[in-house]
Amino acid sequence: MKILLIAIATIFTFTASAQVTKVTIQATGLTCSMCSNAINKALKTLDFVDKVDANIQNSTFDVYFKPNKAVNFDQLRKKVEDAGFFVAGFTAIIHFNNVAITNDELIVINGTTYHFLNVQDQTLNGDQTVHIIDKGFVTAKQYKKNAGFTTMDCYKTGVVGDCCHKEGLIKGSRIYHVTI
Amino acid sequence: MKKLFLIAILFSTSQLYAQELFLFTEPASNMAKGNIGVRLNNMLMENAATNSYKYHLIPEVMIGVSRKVMVHADAFISDETNKFIAEGGSVYAKYRFFSIDGIHSHFRMATYARYSFNNAPVHDAAINLYGHNSGYEAGIVATKLINKVALSASSYFSHALDNDQNKFLYGDGNRNAINYTLSVGKLMLPKAYITYKQTNLNLMVEILGQTNLQTGSSYLDIAPAAQLIVDSKMRFDLGYRYAVVSNLYRQETQGFLIRLEYNFFNVF
Repeated sequence: MKILLIAIATIFTFTASAQVTKVTIQATGLTCSMCSNAINKALKTLDFVDKVDANIQNSTFDVYFKPNKAVNFDQLRKKVEDAGFFVAGFTAIIHFNNVAITNDELIVINGTTYHFLNVQDQTLNGDQTVHIIDKGFVTAKQYKKNAGFTTMDCYKTGVVGDCCHKEGLIKGSRIYHVTI
Repeated sequence: MKKLFLIAILFSTSQLYAQELFLFTEPASNMAKGNIGVRLNNMLMENAATNSYKYHLIPEVMIGVSRKVMVHADAFISDETNKFIAEGGSVYAKYRFFSIDGIHSHFRMATYARYSFNNAPVHDAAINLYGHNSGYEAGIVATKLINKVALSASSYFSHALDNDQNKFLYGDGNRNAINYTLSVGKLMLPKAYITYKQTNLNLMVEILGQTNLQTGSSYLDIAPAAQLIVDSKMRFDLGYRYAVVSNLYRQETQGFLIRLEYNFFNVF
């Protein structure tokens, strides 16, 4: 019986999954193509990045990833900032496989902790466009505006704290605040 | 004065995007972290004392140390003494301490400092740490980029030291000056950005002034310039600088700056 329960639990763990297939970043503070090129080339140095399609006119960058490589949103943001600019928008196309989400609650998917805000409780299946709304992923103005979606402290800190009531989370580990 | 107003109006009504990569001044923005730029600065200045052109070759390396800090190193080579020789060098650092960004816009401020060494004879009362005087300077720059206009203003203090065995000729009291600059730039081409391969053409005008803190004598120069950016990594600058006010003595009050620049991305 025990073995059967473990087997069922394992199957359910693997069926709830998500794969990031593409990220679109909008950068601020630039107009010229040489500035855009600095961001373009910086993003390409990340080992999990396969290809970058830059739209110089709109200051947006479509980033595609190598298969089976973990995507790190913070590292992408940091490359834009190290190039001398900032991120105004950050959307990720994530392929969800039967993931149940609840508004203003944490969920761990494929080792990444997400805190869904301003969403209807639902089960996600297929490709979804997810907006990262953490500090540094939206404009300062937008970040202040979104603060109303939760009272949890982790929105300000970006990491697991006393506010986060979920088993198995390590205090201080990264949480990405997202919306759909 | 009328001419200046016309130029200012011309730039403020432009409908196109603007660039802020100026020739005679540095903007508040820095290079990306890990990027290295190399420059060959060529200055051909009309020397009033010898009635000839003097040539300064200033090779320069620029390093993006972090998102907020950038350093430059220059070597000064010229034929001022009728021999084409190395006369000194300089180090420069800039720290961006403020930045508010928007889509195709920003307002940034930075502070910077330079130390120069030069052993050529001193002729001018004006202080120039970029190929003439030994000394140090520090200042502040603010740059505003909006879709239509790029504006940069700076102010810095200069102090002249002796040029090694060649003393600063104008007395210890005259070693200090305040400098002020105002620059405007506009992107002329391309009309729309499609690829990184497109060549950019920028037109700029800079106003550069200095006032000696002891005598109150000043100079005020205007420097129109054209710039090509090729393949989003190379830059060709052509500028001409000339004096509109010249009460602070300089042997060379007008001339050309021709610069070649190449940028290496993600070197470290």
